[in-house]
Amino acid sequence: MKTSWNELRLIEDYLTANGAPADQVLFEARLILQPELKDSVYWQERTYGLIQQYGRQQLRSEISRVHEKLFSAPEHQSFRQKIRKLFRK
Amino acid sequence: MRTTPIMEKQEEARERRLMSLYQDAFPLVARYISRMGGSFEEAKDLFQDALVIYYEKIQRGDVVLKYTEKSYLFGIARYLWNKRYQENNHQVPLDQFGADFDERLNLRDPGYEEISAPRLLRLLQTAGQKCMELLSAFYYERMDMKEMAERFGFSSPRSATVQKFKCLEKVKETVKEKSLKYEDILE
Repeated sequence: MKTSWNELRLIEDYLTANGAPADQVLFEARLILQPELKDSVYWQERTYGLIQQYGRQQLRSEISRVHEKLFSAPEHQSFRQKIRKLFRK
Repeated sequence: MRTTPIMEKQEEARERRLMSLYQDAFPLVARYISRMGGSFEEAKDLFQDALVIYYEKIQRGDVVLKYTEKSYLFGIARYLWNKRYQENNHQVPLDQFGADFDERLNLRDPGYEEISAPRLLRLLQTAGQKCMELLSAFYYERMDMKEMAERFGFSSPRSATVQKFKCLEKVKETVKEKSLKYEDILE
């Protein structure tokens, strides 16, 4: 495995608290000694955040598709009526 | 009896599951929102948010059901409604409905936050969609390497692992480069 991937993996273990406690401590020591590692952790954390948002967006469109189906397909007409009735003032 | 639900990972199966959750729980939530004076659109938005939260909590292994999925979803939706209602400075009405539906929700975790940096996200969607799909399957859907290999057509779990690292490296590089280039992307 490439060295840069090794760093990715180490950072991932650190951020997810997956490593052994001794490794976590060792990593924290490296963070103090190597400022560029701290940057690298920051960008990786941000990347995970964006992946999370991307995944959530995909899920949201899946859910919207389900909603569209329920509120347009002929076989779901009785479901629709049941819901619509609730909001008729 | 307590149960821990899981979520389907295969796309068609997941759509069926979402459909059945929708059919099962949306009427209950819609009735509640309507009684509280909310609109259909509000009920829809709230319910879809609740589904997202429910899904993410399942993925984290955070859901233990005492009753049913329907009551759990209802609990999340009611929590969201009350939270938004209070924030809008309305009077919070007494909740005379559904005391049986309380589940331990533990919604105060930081796992659910609003979307930020939309510009960077759009960029990643267009420039590196394949990688985003792959990374999201691993980190968001929590697939294992075998499932990843199947979905994306890799010859083995091992090559899925290699691809995951390549993508993580590439996306991280893009995030860094673009964030530094357009400082306005950073909050």
